[in-house]
Amino acid sequence: MTNTILYRAGLPTSVGITLIGLWQILSIVGAINPIMIPSPWDIAIAFSELVTRGYFWQATWFTLQETLYGFAIGVTLGLIIGALTGTFPMFRTAIYPFVIAFQNTPRVALAPIFLTWFGFGMTSKVVMAAVICFFPVVINTVAGMASVGDNAKMLFRSLGASRAQTFFRLTLPGASEIAFAGIKTALTLALLGAIVAEFVGGSVGLGVLIKELNFQLEVAKGFAVVLFLAVIGLTLYGLIELLERYLITWKHD
Amino acid sequence: MSLISNTAATGETISLAGVSKTYMTAKGPLPVLRDINLDIKAGEFVSFVGPSGCGKSTLLKIIAGLVSYDTGTVEVGGEAPREGREDIGFMLQQSVLMPWLNVSKNVELPFAISGRRNGNTPKRVAELLDLVGLTPVAKLNPWELSGGMQQRVALARALALDPGIMLMDEPFSALDEFKREFLNIEVAQMADKLGKTTLLVTHSISEAVLMSDHIIALGANPGRVVGEIKVDLERPRRTNMVGSARFQEISNEVRVALAADLEGVQ
Ligand SMILES: Nc1ncnc2c1ncn2[C@@H]1O[C@H](COP(=O)(O)OP(=O)(O)O)[C@@H](O)[C@H]1O
Ligand SMILES: [Mg+2]
Repeated sequence: MTNTILYRAGLPTSVGITLIGLWQILSIVGAINPIMIPSPWDIAIAFSELVTRGYFWQATWFTLQETLYGFAIGVTLGLIIGALTGTFPMFRTAIYPFVIAFQNTPRVALAPIFLTWFGFGMTSKVVMAAVICFFPVVINTVAGMASVGDNAKMLFRSLGASRAQTFFRLTLPGASEIAFAGIKTALTLALLGAIVAEFVGGSVGLGVLIKELNFQLEVAKGFAVVLFLAVIGLTLYGLIELLERYLITWKHD
Repeated sequence: MSLISNTAATGETISLAGVSKTYMTAKGPLPVLRDINLDIKAGEFVSFVGPSGCGKSTLLKIIAGLVSYDTGTVEVGGEAPREGREDIGFMLQQSVLMPWLNVSKNVELPFAISGRRNGNTPKRVAELLDLVGLTPVAKLNPWELSGGMQQRVALARALALDPGIMLMDEPFSALDEFKREFLNIEVAQMADKLGKTTLLVTHSISEAVLMSDHIIALGANPGRVVGEIKVDLERPRRTNMVGSARFQEISNEVRVALAADLEGVQ
């Protein structure tokens, strides 16, 4: 009973519907100030207006590009630096302390600096997204490579495997499960980085749009954009989970 | 039963003379083997028994060329040890299967790495799976198998390139006793039939007696040979030999050799 689809999808759906219904009722009776929190219905109306506007889709496309470019750059660099760190002990000793130090500083604090360096256009957002999603990829790649057991390494030596064979047939697949967890985190962070960078300064994008709508006291539209961002985030996450399932077929639990 | 057909390598000789090994550890030098002398004939089944930490695994790794030694000479099939030799099959306590490869791809791994994969490989892999009784699960993933079946995959993989020498480091010690006994007999019979030189490290004296031509008893700190016991039970070996008087006598000889060393230490 607790495992049926009806139960596992139905229960959260009914909780959601109940909460939204409650929210709507409290708005109608005036228990919630609509200037602070617009009713679900008002948000729905605001959203239906937004989707008819060209600037909304332009902003969406802009933010998506920033996120995906930043993600691609951050993940690529993260995998390369992670693989070098996991392969060469000297590289690890030289570089890894800085990675850890940076990992523990709030990287969004760099957004204003990137704005001065790269301007109000897309570049400063891409850089912010890349920097913020670089670190979990490096750290998970290193951890994934370290998770490959000594016995497996010995087996490969006893089979006379070359360094390249050991890398491609053992280290790479062996590290990929943990490394991919870092890539998933990175995608969420890339969207966060892009939005934060847009808040700090930009002319187009969903983050810019939220700020402008707030200034104009278009609170319902602002809420609509935030919820739309949540949908984008969930969609991206769903896509990367699909990719994971396709690439890492042996992850079984 | 379809056995390894084509080249069926016969066993190879292994000899060690005056071999010593000291590991350099963070706490200083750790002598693990001292003055080991062994002469193992082609096709012989030799077991090593001794307390844990006495250097049994190190000894096998030296023979496989995975660990260096400090003094003495080692000859494996007439050559100095070298890692990655195709005439050595190494089997460890853990099955060490690749979870991203299915059973038959795991068995195929040695062919892929040695660059010896060819049109004949699928047939060879099928033969090997048949030999260890895994044909029905050939397409399954490692995690879908029981511990005993996983070790069978590891055995098939070690046999893949038809090596003249099999090195087995406590291969079944992670299994429960019933399964272990069953697999032991199979391995002993297989080694016998295939004529491979087989070195087995085991914790169990009766396992050693049941399977071996010779048993080497090792003492600890540092590891050295404290007894060499010949097992003159007839082949093929059967489980019910365990109850025989001769079996008990031989087991006692091994026990005495090991105990004498322990008492000497105290
Ligand atoms: N690579 C290594 N470096 C340092 N010490 C080791 C290494 N491998 C094994 N040892 C130590 O050498 C001793 C013998 O180990 P091993 O050959 O595994 O013994 P056994 O297989 O008989 O239990 C143990 O004390 C072990 O801790
Ligand atoms: Mg051992």
